[in-house]
Amino acid sequence: MLSSNIRTDKKAMTVTSGPRDQSAMHQELCGWLHDVATLRSKSAFSELFKWFAPRIKQFGIKQFNNEAQALELVQETMTNIWRKSHLYKRERGAPTTWMYSIMRNMSFDMLRKIQTQREDTISDDIWPMENMLVSEDVDNFEDHLENKNIKTMLATLPENQKQVIIGLYFQQATQEQLAKQLNLPVGTVKSRLRLALNKLRNQLGESND
Amino acid sequence: MIKHHPSQSLLLAFSRGQLPASLSIAVSAHTDNCSECMHQVLALQESSALFLDEPDTEFEQWHDMSMIDAITSDESEMLATKSQASSVNIKGTEYTLPKSLSSVQLSSWMKLGKLARAKVDLNEGEVHANLLHIESGGTIPQHTHKGFEVTVLLAGEFHDENGSYVPGDFIWLNESNTHSPQTTEGCLCLTVANDALHFTQGLSMALNPIGKLIY
Ligand SMILES: [Zn+2]
Repeated sequence: MLSSNIRTDKKAMTVTSGPRDQSAMHQELCGWLHDVATLRSKSAFSELFKWFAPRIKQFGIKQFNNEAQALELVQETMTNIWRKSHLYKRERGAPTTWMYSIMRNMSFDMLRKIQTQREDTISDDIWPMENMLVSEDVDNFEDHLENKNIKTMLATLPENQKQVIIGLYFQQATQEQLAKQLNLPVGTVKSRLRLALNKLRNQLGESND
Repeated sequence: MIKHHPSQSLLLAFSRGQLPASLSIAVSAHTDNCSECMHQVLALQESSALFLDEPDTEFEQWHDMSMIDAITSDESEMLATKSQASSVNIKGTEYTLPKSLSSVQLSSWMKLGKLARAKVDLNEGEVHANLLHIESGGTIPQHTHKGFEVTVLLAGEFHDENGSYVPGDFIWLNESNTHSPQTTEGCLCLTVANDALHFTQGLSMALNPIGKLIY
């Protein structure tokens, strides 16, 4: 398919590593996931596979210390990516974190099967889908922010945290857009967001418990 | 307020899927109630996922593409599933169980005085998980542990020599700790232990079979 070829070319041109690279890669992954979800595109899936399979295998060898089981993890995880791609919501976090969660859950159920001979799949109950990403911060916080004196509270935040709150809540940027705009890794945006939200939460008089 | 949290290393192992199911369920029952630890887990998960951002040259070359066809030949999609928390009724009180227990089987309840226990069927060898209900006014005689014992308070309250506990509290005890929890209003706990507990006080020694019953 044409669109995925273009993406592959773009990837081949990037040589250095760094924040810009990471966000370009994430864009590409999001594009493939989107094509798999909406078009059931096998070529987009092949791209995802080529990118993800060696990474899953490396993770699997660390978890199981066994190549055959690492390959089984590749198969199980990629099957889930193929069948669950429509559940990935780009505005809720990096595609890599979502894919990591799927791989972690598959690995957990496999370890359980190896150690206890049980075929049950309980990982999705232990790490429910809605908890996988940081989105709850965004949803829970908008209501609170409206009712309080926002300006006074924001003034107490360090400049770099304020920037993140304003970008995400007032300019409605996604975490990835904002990371690009500020030329930062998405992880940094997220950790600043978390620090800022913790601080705001304390000011709202909420305990974290 | 929740005062007792899993250690940082336990949260890390949890976020990587490296703990046994029984302990994972216990940590998950805590993070359901503790946004602080929930955020820690999400942050650990994000940093664990960072290895995926390493360039392709860090990973082996992949040649066998036969898996792709095998996977994509099945066109069906999986629906989003939301874990349904199940509930138990113990002596007339309805308790909602943590979501992490929703697809796990429980044994029938065994009762002894003010105590009732149901085994969580996980088949993890020497690591046992149980639901433990203590009726109001009930107590567990002082005991030590040969291995570790985790208690997550799910509902109600209890207190011991170290203070009082609220739902969500995650209490880790090992061989060097002794305690004798008691409850005024009654409580439901999830316990995970890797050995039967051992009673240390005179009369209680006669009660050692209780240790086998509850942990
Ligand atoms: Zn906690």
